Amino acid sequence: MYVPLTALNEGEAGVVIDIRGGPNARAKLIAMGIAPGVTIRVIKGRGPGPMIVAVGSSRIALGWGIANKILVRRV
Amino acid sequence: MLKTIALVGNPNVGKTTIFNALTGLRQHVGNWPGVTVEKKEGIFEYKGREFLVVDLPGIYSMTAHSVDELIARNFILEGNADVIVDIVDSTCLMRNLFLTLELFEMGAKNVVIALNKFDLIKKKGVEIDIKAMEKALGVPVVPTNAKSGEGLEELKRTIVMMADGKITTNPIVVKYDDDIEREIQHVSEVLEGTPLAEKYPVRWLAIKLLQRDEEVIKLVLKYLGQSKMDEILKHIGELEEKYKRSLDIVMASQKYEFLEQLLRKFVRHPAEIRETLSDQLDKLLTHPVYGIISMLIVFYLLFQFVFTLGGPLQEWLDSAFSWLGEAIAPHITNETLRGLIVDGVIGGVGAVLSFFPLVFLLFVGMSILEDTGYMARIAAMMERFLRIFNLPGKAIIPMVLAFGCNVPAIMATRTLENERDRILTMLVNPLVPCVARMVVITFLADTFFPDKAALVAISIYAIAIALALISALILGKFFIKGEESPFIIELPDYSIPSWKTVIIHSWERSKEFLRKAATVILLGSIAIWYLSSYPQPVGTGLSYAERLGKALEPIAKLMGLDWKAAVSLIFGIIAKENVIATYSVIYGVGEESLAGAMVHAMTPLQAYVLALVTTLYLPCIATLAAIRAEGGTKWMSVAALYNLTLATIVGIIAYAIGSVI
Repeated sequence: MYVPLTALNEGEAGVVIDIRGGPNARAKLIAMGIAPGVTIRVIKGRGPGPMIVAVGSSRIALGWGIANKILVRRV
Repeated sequence: MLKTIALVGNPNVGKTTIFNALTGLRQHVGNWPGVTVEKKEGIFEYKGREFLVVDLPGIYSMTAHSVDELIARNFILEGNADVIVDIVDSTCLMRNLFLTLELFEMGAKNVVIALNKFDLIKKKGVEIDIKAMEKALGVPVVPTNAKSGEGLEELKRTIVMMADGKITTNPIVVKYDDDIEREIQHVSEVLEGTPLAEKYPVRWLAIKLLQRDEEVIKLVLKYLGQSKMDEILKHIGELEEKYKRSLDIVMASQKYEFLEQLLRKFVRHPAEIRETLSDQLDKLLTHPVYGIISMLIVFYLLFQFVFTLGGPLQEWLDSAFSWLGEAIAPHITNETLRGLIVDGVIGGVGAVLSFFPLVFLLFVGMSILEDTGYMARIAAMMERFLRIFNLPGKAIIPMVLAFGCNVPAIMATRTLENERDRILTMLVNPLVPCVARMVVITFLADTFFPDKAALVAISIYAIAIALALISALILGKFFIKGEESPFIIELPDYSIPSWKTVIIHSWERSKEFLRKAATVILLGSIAIWYLSSYPQPVGTGLSYAERLGKALEPIAKLMGLDWKAAVSLIFGIIAKENVIATYSVIYGVGEESLAGAMVHAMTPLQAYVLALVTTLYLPCIATLAAIRAEGGTKWMSVAALYNLTLATIVGIIAYAIGSVI
């Protein structure tokens, strides 16, 4: 089951399947380590404020709009 | 010709610290030709030999979606660097090496990898086999810890050896799927033989075409023509059809896969993802309630630090300049010359220069907040709120700094990556009331509304801030177009700042303030001195300034103000405190008895409008000069015109409403 990243709860992890959205946003996500095949874990999910995810040992804050365009498979 | 060393790397990898370690104080900051991206260069000395070090903008990739990326990419492609030092954060190898592989893909062979933050990775229990890493990547790798200076000697030695051609490298190249490799091969063959092949690595061009890189498509189109280009794009389209997604995504994921296998050759116990103390802290610091409370506390402390330490210094400098003027005056016999030097140069420039300690300390405070990693959290937290007004979260930093002084605030807009965001933030920034305007606001509020002074002052602040946000909303929607960048920001690890970096950084930035004082502000001060002294001094009613004031009186009248206010506002352009000082010159009274004189000459409503207009109209010359330096003459003119118009309209409305009440 593929879901947008925003559907994951805090503490859950997912493998990136695809990234929708413009080439600009896509390129930026890829360069920051969010690419298909990469595992992402949600540090801070639903609720007010930006989403915070862990990719490897780095932490990235994502706006909800862009996070919605990242498709993942729950693991 | 000096040999050139270029520094590349992701943001937050310690690039600046390494740059400072290599160049010390022999560095300067300018702008890349044609754009307002910081260009840092310095001289690196090693055993009596000198090299030029160029610090390229910190970037995550070479996709050329931003000016920063384009600058770095072109610099590398044009072969401007004799040695490329690729600074890699060892705590985040995967992502950092992604950029390294791009460098290799671009045909860069002269690469030295500085594996920075090496001490941190050891603490995390991860082992990196340097020898194996060198073998896997095909270029020299030097573990460093820039903050403590560990490994820097070795890095310098390696750089020089590479510059002398004593190191041979064999950078590894990413292998993609067979289908993609075949297409790369095919496109390469088409490009081979064109003049492009002499200038750029053909494989890189082919890869970028597959990824539909706009810059490269434009470039290739020039040499190949439309029909051949269409053919290539058709092939790419077919391939995308087959993969059912765009090739940039496919290739990125293959590149990461490739990287993962590569990493296995030299990394043991890769860091697993688990929640850390810093994650707990982040949840708190980006929380809309607790986050904002902690931000307010941090900013309060920042201002305490700046004004407790800088306030006395500013007063001291201010009186030092007055003393200097008085001391010099008797020695100049020529009256004109004396006026020019004492009132024009020392008076005007001194007034601005005395703010230097505040500017410098603000930058120190900001650098500390940046280096600890806290700024990124503030930006993340404010993103949603400020986006409503078309501003990015990061704009909060210049907006807050502006309460102290607009000059460093304008300079701080540099940290915004997007041109549109930067211009927009720069334009609305002057509406945030700085300390100089606070002086005027509180003086008028105290004098005319003794019972409700605080309320009056707060209302002016509130109007100004609301106008800044609404201006951003309107200007961003209708006038300043450009792509809104999606919100993706890295939250770097919290760390203790390096004092050397903080001081060098603050000095570099505030030095520009001094340079401005010596140029634009000097000219402005002289002009205003001239207007106020000729043909007769201010107070006689004959000076150009007063005539100008009278000429502007019809406009001032709409706001319920007279020519005196118009003159004061003209002088307020040097520094806003002058609005009050000018009144004391016109009334011929000291500032102590000014309050009494003004109460009789003005109504509370007029005073309120004056305070409001002072806050909103033209920013001071130092601010205008800063806008010009960061955004160019065009945007400075726009800012000036916009503020003037806005202040006039708001002044008229405020007076009209006030008269009715």
